[in-house]
Amino acid sequence: MPAEHHGPGQYQLRIRGHLDSSWTDWFEGMVLTQENDGTTSLCGPVVDQAALHGLLAKVRNIGATLIAVNLLEDQDPGQNH
Amino acid sequence: MPTPVLATKLFFPAPRPQITSRPRLFKRLNDELGPSRKLSLVCAPAGFGKTTLVSEWITQRRQQHPGVCIAWLSLDAHDNDPSRFLAYIVAALQGVDAEIGNEITGRRHSGQVLAVEPALTSLINDIARSGKEFILVLDDYHLIEKRPVHDALAFLLDHLPPQLHLVIATRSDPPLSLARLRSRGELTELRAADLRFTPDEAADFLNQVMNLGLSTDDIAALATRTEGWIAGLQLAGVSLREHGDVSGFIKAFTGSNRFVIDYLLEEVLQHQPAEVRNFLLATAPLEHMTGGLCEALTGVGGGQGMLEGLERDNLFVIPLDDRRQWYRYHPLFAEVLRARVLQELPGRMPELHRLASEWYEQNDLIEDAVHHALAAEDFGRAADLIEAVLPTMRRTRQDGMMLAWLTALPEEVVRVRPLLSVFYAWRTLVSGDLDAVEPWLGAAEQGVKAAAAEGKGPGNSDLKSIRGQELRMLPSTIAMYRASLAQARGDVYTTAQHAREAFELAGPEDHFARGAAAGFLGLASWAQGDVETAVDTFSDAVASLHEAGNLTDELSSTILLADMQIARGQLQEARKLYERALDYAAAQGESAPRATAELHVGYSELSREFGDLESAARHLQTSKELGRQVAPLTEHSYRWFVAMAGVREAEGDMAGATESLDQAQLLYLRGFFPEIRPIPALKARITIRQGRLSEGWEWARSRGLLPVGELSYLREFEHLTLARLLISQFRVLPAEKTIQEAQDLLMRLLEAAEAAGRKGSTYEVLVLQALALEAQGQRALALVPLERALAEAGPEGYVRLFLDEGPPLAPLLAEAAARGTAPPHTALLQQSKKTVVSQTAISRTPTPQREDLSKRELEVLRLLGTSLSGPEIARQLFVSLNTLRTHTKRIFIKLEVNNRREAVRHGKEQGLI
Repeated sequence: MPAEHHGPGQYQLRIRGHLDSSWTDWFEGMVLTQENDGTTSLCGPVVDQAALHGLLAKVRNIGATLIAVNLLEDQDPGQNH
Repeated sequence: MPTPVLATKLFFPAPRPQITSRPRLFKRLNDELGPSRKLSLVCAPAGFGKTTLVSEWITQRRQQHPGVCIAWLSLDAHDNDPSRFLAYIVAALQGVDAEIGNEITGRRHSGQVLAVEPALTSLINDIARSGKEFILVLDDYHLIEKRPVHDALAFLLDHLPPQLHLVIATRSDPPLSLARLRSRGELTELRAADLRFTPDEAADFLNQVMNLGLSTDDIAALATRTEGWIAGLQLAGVSLREHGDVSGFIKAFTGSNRFVIDYLLEEVLQHQPAEVRNFLLATAPLEHMTGGLCEALTGVGGGQGMLEGLERDNLFVIPLDDRRQWYRYHPLFAEVLRARVLQELPGRMPELHRLASEWYEQNDLIEDAVHHALAAEDFGRAADLIEAVLPTMRRTRQDGMMLAWLTALPEEVVRVRPLLSVFYAWRTLVSGDLDAVEPWLGAAEQGVKAAAAEGKGPGNSDLKSIRGQELRMLPSTIAMYRASLAQARGDVYTTAQHAREAFELAGPEDHFARGAAAGFLGLASWAQGDVETAVDTFSDAVASLHEAGNLTDELSSTILLADMQIARGQLQEARKLYERALDYAAAQGESAPRATAELHVGYSELSREFGDLESAARHLQTSKELGRQVAPLTEHSYRWFVAMAGVREAEGDMAGATESLDQAQLLYLRGFFPEIRPIPALKARITIRQGRLSEGWEWARSRGLLPVGELSYLREFEHLTLARLLISQFRVLPAEKTIQEAQDLLMRLLEAAEAAGRKGSTYEVLVLQALALEAQGQRALALVPLERALAEAGPEGYVRLFLDEGPPLAPLLAEAAARGTAPPHTALLQQSKKTVVSQTAISRTPTPQREDLSKRELEVLRLLGTSLSGPEIARQLFVSLNTLRTHTKRIFIKLEVNNRREAVRHGKEQGLI
């Protein structure tokens, strides 16, 4: 079932710099992966737009630089693309 | 301990003495601060030094321009309630100029609803009038997420007076029309690229402020690694201060890909003693910190000393007051610490929040206690706290926050708490979702029963507590909301039924509940045209509101009571009510300006009826002046324009009157009070007077009015207008059927009015009957109803009742005066220019007198026979008190008596009264 962009879906956020895995709890269930290009990707389920905005606010509140937000067709939170 | 909320939010965060000065940014802020600039926007992510920049710029500006008033407001997530947001803006401005926003604060204290735009308008006017220059800073605006608050800000910006400049510091662009502001040159923007430390600034910070003595290369490396991010540089500075190996540290840091904060915070925490580390982690959940609160969370003493030490060491704590009682962490630092707590102390967070909630509760800071209980997901605790604080929250109208709290609670937690259920019901009612109201009221009722069964209800232990009192009053409140619900649905019978129930359920001491219930009952009786009952019940309501100490509601209700008295034809009673209420309002120091303004409108309408247009206009002017200080948009607002229309119409300015009525129509709010004088009908009366009968018929058709239609009090004004239309039609086109319809309708209206004791309506019908008969050429018959109207309405002071009918009634009035059977009273004669005073009217006294009283003296004697006081009689006769005394003395001499009582008795014996 394809994810509706206003409904629940798997999202991937890319942030500049390597965030430790210790942030996993803070980002409530997102899986953090440190990429080779010096960015961190956060992947995980996001129930709706309000939750997505909440997630973006968390990124903003720690002063991290947001590079990309993608909606993944893939439902497996472990995959990046 | 004083509540930290208000004072700390308005605290101007003076920059630390040692700081990197940023002249390049100040220059941009200063250069662009011309009169056309409305907004300076400092917009960048966390840790870019926004607050420090603005506070330093303002400190400098204040030195250069000592006259400028600086109002500072640090926003937080709770300010998403527009009334709270507004209250803080007012408080911030008032802190620098006590003259600003007084009326708004007054209304808040009296518990009135603050309509945002009118309140802002009043604020803007205050600022424009003050002649001073203001800078209002809104810090942390990104915490505002709710549309109504954004709208309020947009309104303020759209109407910004040139004396006020707005500075907003935020992490994200506010949803304002920034592009439009930019294109008009009204916006100064400083963004992340501007705020980053340049290599020179980084050098100044690290070497001058932090005193680290770094080489140019080291500084360049740090500036590159942190991209000039000030929080990063500051953390790096703190780490370096503790670090022996400077070049080693810089090499490792610049060589790492780790997120700057992750890397540096770990460095900083590693170098702190265990007690500091523990303190930082345990207090991370707090939004505000004070010694005792921190101790409650850490479980060890020395909280205050620890906070002072952290401030000294530049460890991201910010003082919130001059006495260093309250602090907070830099928000960025706090967020990162909280993430650490989640990782290092799993499961500890809810417990920390609960401890904070308990400390706040013990210190009577209930809002914060609720906030932390919700964060701890301890919903039972949160709900109990919310119940306790509910009356205060309702009084201060923080509905938005109450609602946010209740939304955060699971429904089953709300349902078992009757006070919360009732609040929810009220919210649903106000939002217009009528069908959703009753289930919540039902749940509340169940809850009250359950509480009573458990002995928790109106039992002894609870009796003194706020919650106990509230619970005791709840059954009455529930009935009241059912009455409101029925009223909103237009069901008069059910409204009255529930209002009666509410009244009976209210305890003898529940003055407010009794007042409100009696008010509902009175309004229901009024809507049914039973003015006698309405006056009785409503008088009780006003008395109860007086007992309850609710000045605004008491005064507002007085206006309705006066309206009811006017419907009964008791103009003098209405006048006394207004005079007493205005005296009372004055004695209370005009602390209820809105209600006082409304009273003046009512008094103006009454003065107009007495024929004193000058006084009517003066009261309207007074009302306008009072109203300008307050947000005038209430269910009474339209009425000023109705009164103005009346004055203009009486002055012959029909176009002006129509214009006022159009404005009244725009402001009219349905559903609050019975619609006794519908505005379209008032407009129709003007068109009829102007002879534009086809427009009159169009109105009658649109309202479905027929002469044979069923009568009800709520349609009486329309039916009386229709009767005028029929009579005017007959004058133009004398068809027997037309006048017959008018007469039949008037007869039925007369019966209904007389049966219900509505003398005001009775008099109007009598005048119209006279006009109908006069139109048929039956003058002798026409005099019968007119003379009755004159005899009964005259002593009450009716003037416009007769004069408003214009030329058609004038010859009849003259004839009545000539016959003298029921002479039109003085004020009427003075104004009816076409009516000639006939001496015969006063010489026909039934018994001979020693010396005849003059017409004026007779008039005075009649008034002496009423319960009016001397000054009241003087006002009634438009004479000074001295003139009245002269008249009185002559009367005493002529009647050979010594006092008022004897004079009246003699007057009665001789048939003079």
